[in-house]
Amino acid sequence: MWSSLKEFFSSEAVFLAANYIFFIYGIILMSFYFTGVILASRAIKRNKRKSLFLQVNDIVSATDIPSISVIAPAYNEGLTIIENVKSLLSIQYPYYELILVNDGSKDDSLEQLIEEFQLERRDATFITQPIPTASVKHFYRSKLSKYTHLTVLDKNNGGRADALNAGINFASSELVVCTDADCIIEQDALIKMVRPYLEENEKEIIACGGGIGIANDSVIKNGVLKELRLPENLVPMVQVVEYIRAFLLGRMAWSEINGLMLVSGAFGMYPRKRVIEVNGFDAKTVGEDLELCIRLRMLMEEKKLPYKVVYLPETLCWTEGPPDHSILIKQRDRWARGLWETLKIHRKLFLNPKYRYMGILFYPYWLFFEFGAPIIEFLGVICIIAFAFFGMINWPMAILLFTAAYLIGCVFSTAAIFMYVKNFDHYHKPKQIIELLLAAYLEPFLYHPILVYGQMKGYYKKIFGIKSGWGTMTRKGFKVSDT
Amino acid sequence: MNESSILILIGFVFAVLVIYWISIVISVIYRRNRTKRLQKIEMTFAEIVSGYLYNDPNDPLTLTEINKTLKNVGIKKQNKNNIQFLIGLMIRTQRTILGTNFYKLQKLYSQIPPYRVSINKISSWSWYRKARGIREIYEMNQSQYLDEIFKYRNHRNIYVRREAQIALVVFLGWESLRFLPYLKRNMTLWQQIKIVEKLYDHYPKPELKWLHRAYKTERLFGKKLLMRIIRKYELHAETGYIVDNLNHEDYEVRETAIYCLQTFALSKSKISYVKVLFEDITDPTQQGQLLNYLYHNSEMDLDFYMKQLNNASDDLKLSIAEILWNNGYKEKVQEFYYKQYPAETELNVE
Repeated sequence: MWSSLKEFFSSEAVFLAANYIFFIYGIILMSFYFTGVILASRAIKRNKRKSLFLQVNDIVSATDIPSISVIAPAYNEGLTIIENVKSLLSIQYPYYELILVNDGSKDDSLEQLIEEFQLERRDATFITQPIPTASVKHFYRSKLSKYTHLTVLDKNNGGRADALNAGINFASSELVVCTDADCIIEQDALIKMVRPYLEENEKEIIACGGGIGIANDSVIKNGVLKELRLPENLVPMVQVVEYIRAFLLGRMAWSEINGLMLVSGAFGMYPRKRVIEVNGFDAKTVGEDLELCIRLRMLMEEKKLPYKVVYLPETLCWTEGPPDHSILIKQRDRWARGLWETLKIHRKLFLNPKYRYMGILFYPYWLFFEFGAPIIEFLGVICIIAFAFFGMINWPMAILLFTAAYLIGCVFSTAAIFMYVKNFDHYHKPKQIIELLLAAYLEPFLYHPILVYGQMKGYYKKIFGIKSGWGTMTRKGFKVSDT
Repeated sequence: MNESSILILIGFVFAVLVIYWISIVISVIYRRNRTKRLQKIEMTFAEIVSGYLYNDPNDPLTLTEINKTLKNVGIKKQNKNNIQFLIGLMIRTQRTILGTNFYKLQKLYSQIPPYRVSINKISSWSWYRKARGIREIYEMNQSQYLDEIFKYRNHRNIYVRREAQIALVVFLGWESLRFLPYLKRNMTLWQQIKIVEKLYDHYPKPELKWLHRAYKTERLFGKKLLMRIIRKYELHAETGYIVDNLNHEDYEVRETAIYCLQTFALSKSKISYVKVLFEDITDPTQQGQLLNYLYHNSEMDLDFYMKQLNNASDDLKLSIAEILWNNGYKEKVQEFYYKQYPAETELNVE
């Protein structure tokens, strides 16, 4: 065993093959990122120009803009449920209803809601169920006139996807926004999100996502983000950079070529009739947001209908990122499993010309570079250790290569921060920018290895069939200001 | 790849990184200075406008003083960004002022820089400048340029033609319906809504002769636009146009018709006609929406609902059953559902 291992890692051919594989993989990935920077810059510039002619004020008093249902599932969120619902009720849009789905909570969430909003129980017999879900026990409406747009669905537990489906069934609006009860949504988010649906003529918008920001340690007042602060701890601080990079560079770039395969589960808008047509979210996967978006795209490809998945660069939704390593690992473990499951479900897309770019480019990208990256990184670490052990590594050269790769990574992060600072004014103080840059430069050492560990843990569970659900995501909660 | 080439690569990447750092610093400094400058322009402009509108007879604000003050805060021909900002301020101010002051303000605008900036933009090759120029012209109510703008109503760039169409509405009012429902290119929902809103803001009194002439349009967006106008102005006498489109072959026209109909209560005869059209609609979702309208806007018609209960899709049946159930026809619903089972099935009901 040992001798064969030694023979394997000491072999010049293996060493060369490994070198070439990692090098080519890295070069292709860098090319994607580089193209992403160019596409994202173009998209942001165009978006900024277009927005001058699509001013919200022009239609804000209109009475015929589409109605929207905001669907927020909640499970055992009694600690923050009232604040969260108040926050979601404060969104400014003339025709929206909030459907809060109590997904069989075992705590006193429902009782609190009934008391705070003076809810009245209604019979759920006649609720149509175009998407099958766990049974809805009752629905509740407020007796108070100021909360007429609030509905609480009380159903048996079925998971987040199932709760969203129940909300979609109940909604009567054209568009549905799927979010989480603990998200802080910008007041004008809905009117901005509805814009692509109103302005598109030739293609149908099947999904629209907005930027999501990390707001740990920020101050919330009356459900509204009063003061955005950078997180105090490194883990959420790096996530700020990670989200900026992922949303501003990644999603914006993919959106530019209509290649978005994912609209984030924390904040995504869909036309209700299309979601029903594909039978809603898949309750069997933990990556239900990615899975739905892919299924919607497949539907349109199969029907040969022109469509678009749109992403708005502005941060419209604020969420609390995992505050420490252990919760981060749980989150990334779940994301990795969701990705695995979704790619497996839709494996027929791989290099399938029937689905055009989706089959030929987008799916393979996700497979090789979103799904494959942690595996390649993990294998890379193993190879370095093994080759080092057998004395195959030219250390000065390796250090130089590492420095180059590290600096290239820093360039992409810096580019994302620059684009964000230039176009948005959330982080404009020099101190904040310096902190963001430092977090970006420390990321490869203090954050990324943990991320890879979390992802590999998820894959490990899938390989060995270890059952695991959503996991408990303990949150600290936002700072609530009373003044 | 040897060490020296990697060193060159590292040097290059580091240089890029430094460029980004410098860009960030410049961006932060620029933003800070720019904000200060814009605040100064805004304050100065506010003082000028208030001084001009409510002039002190003892110490009147002269035009020379105004121009000099503006020049001092950076409103110069070469400072295009400052001029653009000033135009934005002028538009914003004009929107909030009514009555004689509105006309006084327009007079002021014609006498201070920027002169002809907006109309010059129209001849630009860039769609962005062109559309922006048109927008500024209609926002500032410079109707003398209508002929110049008119030709852009079918422009290939969506933003240019949109702005030109809005300009037609602002300058021509209801008469713009001579052109709008017959445009060559499709009109987005956003544009339809914006046209309706602008028309309502500027011309709240309907001129039905233009509307009636426009009914001839066969353009789908034209039909939708007209229905939205009827809805916005609550033109009860024109509901016939909406009703006639309820069974239109195009899904979106039907959708708009159903949506617009929700605003109105119809006479008994029209309701009966809608019930006839109800069966022509093939889409169950739209049938459901119309059913909901009929339920809330007409008297209980047992025959109609029983007929639909026996014929409609499963989802619709549930809605009809709910209506019947809530209106005292529980036994009809039970009878209907019992009939779904074969005669020999033993039902487990009390």
